[in-house]
Amino acid sequence: MIEIRNLSLWYRKDHKVIDDVSARIPKGRAVVICGPSGSGKSSLLRCINGLERFQEGEIIIDGQSLRSRETDIHKVRAKIGMVFQHFELYPHMTVLDNITLAPRKVLNQSEKDAENKAMQLLTRVGIPDKASRYPGELSGGQQQRVAIARSLAMEPKAMLFDEPTSALDPEMIKEVLEVMIDLAKSGMTMVVVTHEMGFAREVADEVAFMDHGRFVERKPAGAFFECTENPRTREFLSRILK
Amino acid sequence: MDLQVIARNLEFMAGGLVVTFEITAVALAGGLLWGILLGLGRLSRIPWIYHPVTVYVHFFRSQPLILVIFWFYFLVPVMIGKPLGAFVSTLIAFVAFEAAYFAEIVRGGVQSVSGGQAAAGYSCGLRYHQVQLYIILPQALRNMLPALTTQAVVIFQDTSLAYVIGLREFLRRVNLVDTREARSIELYLFAGTVYLVLCSLGSAAARRLERRREVGLS
Repeated sequence: MIEIRNLSLWYRKDHKVIDDVSARIPKGRAVVICGPSGSGKSSLLRCINGLERFQEGEIIIDGQSLRSRETDIHKVRAKIGMVFQHFELYPHMTVLDNITLAPRKVLNQSEKDAENKAMQLLTRVGIPDKASRYPGELSGGQQQRVAIARSLAMEPKAMLFDEPTSALDPEMIKEVLEVMIDLAKSGMTMVVVTHEMGFAREVADEVAFMDHGRFVERKPAGAFFECTENPRTREFLSRILK
Repeated sequence: MDLQVIARNLEFMAGGLVVTFEITAVALAGGLLWGILLGLGRLSRIPWIYHPVTVYVHFFRSQPLILVIFWFYFLVPVMIGKPLGAFVSTLIAFVAFEAAYFAEIVRGGVQSVSGGQAAAGYSCGLRYHQVQLYIILPQALRNMLPALTTQAVVIFQDTSLAYVIGLREFLRRVNLVDTREARSIELYLFAGTVYLVLCSLGSAAARRLERRREVGLS
């Protein structure tokens, strides 16, 4: 589904944000990426979604290379949903319009179809009663659930999550994680940058630890937590698993 | 003081006010539309868009408006081979000139919207023009409203400069009445009062818009 080959990204030549990263994420897998801030996790997600132009390597999504001139990056992006740390709902639109904008403009769905679909998704994330509200009237947890519904409305083949719970108050983290767990269990291909190790334990097929733009370690979730020998990973885990 | 002179010529002068409003309206609408395109061009990462637009904006911002009005009146007819008339050439001059100022207001407005908003739009597969049209510009314009109303008031005053090419807008007509009636003090006091009242109304509207925006954001 997503294949990354020798990816490198930098803004200054002497400091690589992503340094020769390769990975394959098959269909239906959930991968969790953790690591200290500035380690390149978010940049990696932005590269996968074509929001960041990388200098070296290759990203192939569903058989299409992001580098190839024949690839329409907009069509690739339409197949991949992204959820942001700060939700990024459009504040001037209602929840319903937030969700239906892209399906109507990109997939050319009729307003009625798009709205029916949006209501289904709002029900799925547990807030169908907020359809006509504006994002500013919702709690952080509700906003993030709307953002997930907005991505799902495009019927993506994969979803990227960039620290989806980091900006939330503790009591709201659970409601967002529940939606994500449900999504992973339904077979969605997911790449999740998060420090929620409970989530990783429950649904991740693989956990990767990233530092200084490289994967220090990639293992199946169980093995990652039980028997990592890498001192950097252990140090990091001991700090966040308190 | 002979206020009768104003009453006698009120209709004629009011007709000039209509012309003034027409120029203001076209300069605002056309200048803003053209200014939005220029403003986005100023933010473009494509060199052959960014550089010409930047030169355009810089050029018009370094020229006195009165000179630009002269130019379009004398130069454009030479270029296209037929006279445009004072009204049309004034409209073109104002749109071309004001767009340069609107461009910088738009640029600031667009920059005031967080980059994450564009990323969210792109990540759903929307294209540049859709992201700008549906996501960025509505928010940017809302943030720009106070600056835009201020600029509208400035344009309204600046329309009087079109008198240099003989356009019969409000101030020019007051001036014409004065040459006939020789009542300078009454007439120019009247003209000043009209500008004062209308501009005050404009500023009051701007303040109300700003207050409403602050309330809306809280």
